[in-house]
Amino acid sequence: MKNLFIPLLACIACAVVVSFTAVSVRSMQDLNLENDKKSKILLAAGINSENIDEEFEKIEIIYVDFKSNKLVEMDEKYDHIKATLKSDLSTVVPKEKDIAILKRMENVGPMYLWFDKGNNIEKVVLPIRGYGLWGTLYGYISLASDLNTINGIEFYEHKETPGLGAEVENEEWKNIWKGKILYNKDGGVELKVVKGSSSNIYEIDGLSGATLTSNGVSNMIQYWLGPEAYGPALKIVKETFNS
Amino acid sequence: MKPLTFKESKQLLFAPIIENNPIALQILGICSALAVTVKMDVTLVMCAALTSVVALSNFFISLLRFYIPENIRIIVQMTVIASLVIIVDEILKAYAYEASKQLSVFVGLIITNCIVMGRAEAYAMKNPPIRSFLDGLGNGLGYSFILIVVATIREIFGSGTFLGLQVMPDSYPTNNFLLLPPSSFIIIGLMIWIIRSISTSQIEEDENPLKAHTFKPLVAKKEASNG
Repeated sequence: MKNLFIPLLACIACAVVVSFTAVSVRSMQDLNLENDKKSKILLAAGINSENIDEEFEKIEIIYVDFKSNKLVEMDEKYDHIKATLKSDLSTVVPKEKDIAILKRMENVGPMYLWFDKGNNIEKVVLPIRGYGLWGTLYGYISLASDLNTINGIEFYEHKETPGLGAEVENEEWKNIWKGKILYNKDGGVELKVVKGSSSNIYEIDGLSGATLTSNGVSNMIQYWLGPEAYGPALKIVKETFNS
Repeated sequence: MKPLTFKESKQLLFAPIIENNPIALQILGICSALAVTVKMDVTLVMCAALTSVVALSNFFISLLRFYIPENIRIIVQMTVIASLVIIVDEILKAYAYEASKQLSVFVGLIITNCIVMGRAEAYAMKNPPIRSFLDGLGNGLGYSFILIVVATIREIFGSGTFLGLQVMPDSYPTNNFLLLPPSSFIIIGLMIWIIRSISTSQIEEDENPLKAHTFKPLVAKKEASNG
């Protein structure tokens, strides 16, 4: 009897305490996650501020339907990363097109826009993700008003090797991105991370000792700014908002 | 049992730091010492997490020690330890988000940390709660001592910073090897060497000494069989 009751009591007591703690700190945890994401969006756009919520109110969030390439209305709580787990909100990416190794891609993605006083686009932030060496890298890329020049890049989650692939977080490396050009004259994504040093405005210096991570970053730029994802929508946005 | 004296509690608290260090003498709990010592701030959070888990698990297991059935004691201990670790993890996610993000799975892995299990089995099952609590706290401090030294070396020479502040001149070429886990193996090894050359009582006896050379030349054998 002792063998049965003591473990049972211990389990019940532990379960009560654990669930009580988990429930009481849940709202705090959600807030942290939300703030972390928001601050990375701001950082990608080059805004380093303590007042995350205040800065975030200046942003216009629009949503893009990747299938029809139209701007759509979405609920404020829509999470495009969580959407990839649901079969009605995401689609399987065909293997030959899946250069960033996403497997599933959300049907609708967000676009964060800043407008200047003349109601022209000042800058835009887009979420990007793709496979590196050990896992998927999640980040944001920011484009300047011409929607062609890179304004900044930021990664908020990755599993790359410290000192090698994890250098995607290196400030100096992220600074290289500023001012690089994304699309060539034909409208294709030209920007890529190359081995060694870059020789023109379409190239980013590769991370030494992290070729696979560098290729992964290259591929995710190719994919997310290409015709399968945000590419067509960026053109529409440019025509709609910038006269 | 005799009441706890001041001297005794001091012994319980501070002996595990040098004399009976869980990492340097018992070589327990090495895994997290390798993984979380790249940056000092993260290390400090990990030390606080582990110390509170060891101390509290020792305390609760000691409280329950007369009721825990001998044959399933490990399962009951694990229940207590796992619950404490989950609570610590949840609290970190809420109040120390940045550090908990960098610690990722290693907070959860405290459950399997040999120091926690080891102290529960070796001490808390046989001693009263207050003593067990102090013993847990002491062992947590011993673990923290090693981790803090390793993290200091790794952060200063690996990234040129300390607690995120630049301490090395800009011209200092950072040592990337120190950012990788194997470097802490070497640092911990050197620390064990230093500790054992000061406190010689920690040197272990050679369990498998090499025997003297016993090989006989082949020629001699042939002669022996012929003759």
